[in-house]
Amino acid sequence: MIETALKALFILLYATFVGFMFMGIIRIVTARIHRRVGPPIYQPILDTIKLLSKKSNITHGLIYDFGILYAVGATILAVMFIPLGSIGVLRAYGDLILITFLLEIPMLGIMFAAMSSGNPYAGIGAQRALLTLLAIQVPLGFAIVALAEFYGTFSTYEIVMAQQTMGWSIFHFPLLLAAIAYDLVLQAMFGKEPFDIMIAPGEISLGPMVEFGGKHMGLLQIQHAIALFAETLFFANIFLGGGVVTAFSSSILNTIAGLAVLLVKQVAVLLIATFMGAIFPRFTIDQAAKFYWKWPTIIAALGAVLASL
Amino acid sequence: MVDWRLYEPLINFARKRSMWIVAFCTGCGGIEMPPLMTSRYDLERFGMMPNPAPRMADLFLITGYVTPKTLKRIIITYEMQPDPKYVLAHGSCPLNGGIYWDAYNAIKHLDKYIPVDVAIAGCMPRPEAVMDGIKKIMDLIETGKADGWKRYKENYEYYKKNQDELFGEGWREKTARRWIPWLMGREKKREEE
Repeated sequence: MIETALKALFILLYATFVGFMFMGIIRIVTARIHRRVGPPIYQPILDTIKLLSKKSNITHGLIYDFGILYAVGATILAVMFIPLGSIGVLRAYGDLILITFLLEIPMLGIMFAAMSSGNPYAGIGAQRALLTLLAIQVPLGFAIVALAEFYGTFSTYEIVMAQQTMGWSIFHFPLLLAAIAYDLVLQAMFGKEPFDIMIAPGEISLGPMVEFGGKHMGLLQIQHAIALFAETLFFANIFLGGGVVTAFSSSILNTIAGLAVLLVKQVAVLLIATFMGAIFPRFTIDQAAKFYWKWPTIIAALGAVLASL
Repeated sequence: MVDWRLYEPLINFARKRSMWIVAFCTGCGGIEMPPLMTSRYDLERFGMMPNPAPRMADLFLITGYVTPKTLKRIIITYEMQPDPKYVLAHGSCPLNGGIYWDAYNAIKHLDKYIPVDVAIAGCMPRPEAVMDGIKKIMDLIETGKADGWKRYKENYEYYKKNQDELFGEGWREKTARRWIPWLMGREKKREEE
């Protein structure tokens, strides 16, 4: 019991810390692409401390407060279901569909909070975010079906274990197609550039985020950090072989090596998203929906068909 | 209870190194912002970010001359920001009117209406001068001397008197009615009756 609680606490702290580092990496890498120096890597932590230490705070009612907590809670739950190397609390129940569902739930919490504030920009942002959510469902579903068809299971942990004997998923052709589609979907889940329609800073004033300030925004920063960690971790687990190391005799060394391997894979996923985000301009909402329902859907559906043959 | 004074140095360091700017550019100083934000004088080194929403901004840059029409928006935006908040006035116009010293339609002294923490002289200040002002406000935040938001609360009578002298009594409600849709609808209904 205590062991499980300690594991959960470790996962939570590790996910938050590494998530904040990921946010710092995104800002530094984007700055270097712009030929700027960029902020220090711990900048998101300073931002969060500043936001949480604001003296005055504005609330727009119960739903406004509850939506934020809902988003943070759903993200923490999602990270508990994903196997993190050899550490896992609920990984035995980590169903592919459940995890993808839990990774999208936080968006709904933020929508609740944003719409209850009554700001028109928040309304437009929520509408766009829901449309993006709708657009990514189709390729996401096909990618998940391709994985399940190929391995014959929906369990994330079993897929990770199967990859230890069969090789990484992306080295099989049908799953490579699914991985490409999933990576395009990931771009919208991160809210990075071609698909950052919902927060569009110069256009609709950060969309859903426009009314959040002080402690609400601080909690959302923490949520964003954990969500970045969870999304990259899920991709690294199901497509890049996870982080199972059995080279050492001591189990602690194996765990640390597994975390390091996972970290390298997660940073690789993150850097692909950052590079794509830094060089592409923004789509409009109808272009994004058309794009998602055309190319990633075709690729992922082809993958699913090939996997089932 | 936790004694938060213990963490005061850390919090002040975080406040100093992560000032988010509300994107509200008045007058000609707005043109100095792009070089400050982009690769020539990269302000993101100090953790500063332009931010479209006033709710999560800390630093308010008054970049240039202020007219009564803008001043209404400036005051309302300033009051929307959560405490602690800081104001940095660019150029001579918010100080004493600058080249608009005899204009009938420009505000000569901005600090009669909202508290100004740091003012940068010059017409226009070069980006180096703006960075010097930002350095100054960082020092003030670290030593706890950037207390414009406290002064605004303590001397609210004085600021409100000056604002009402300029715009007339009840200007907030009148302006809000023109902006906020549900108040606007109520107003129209009352007119129809």
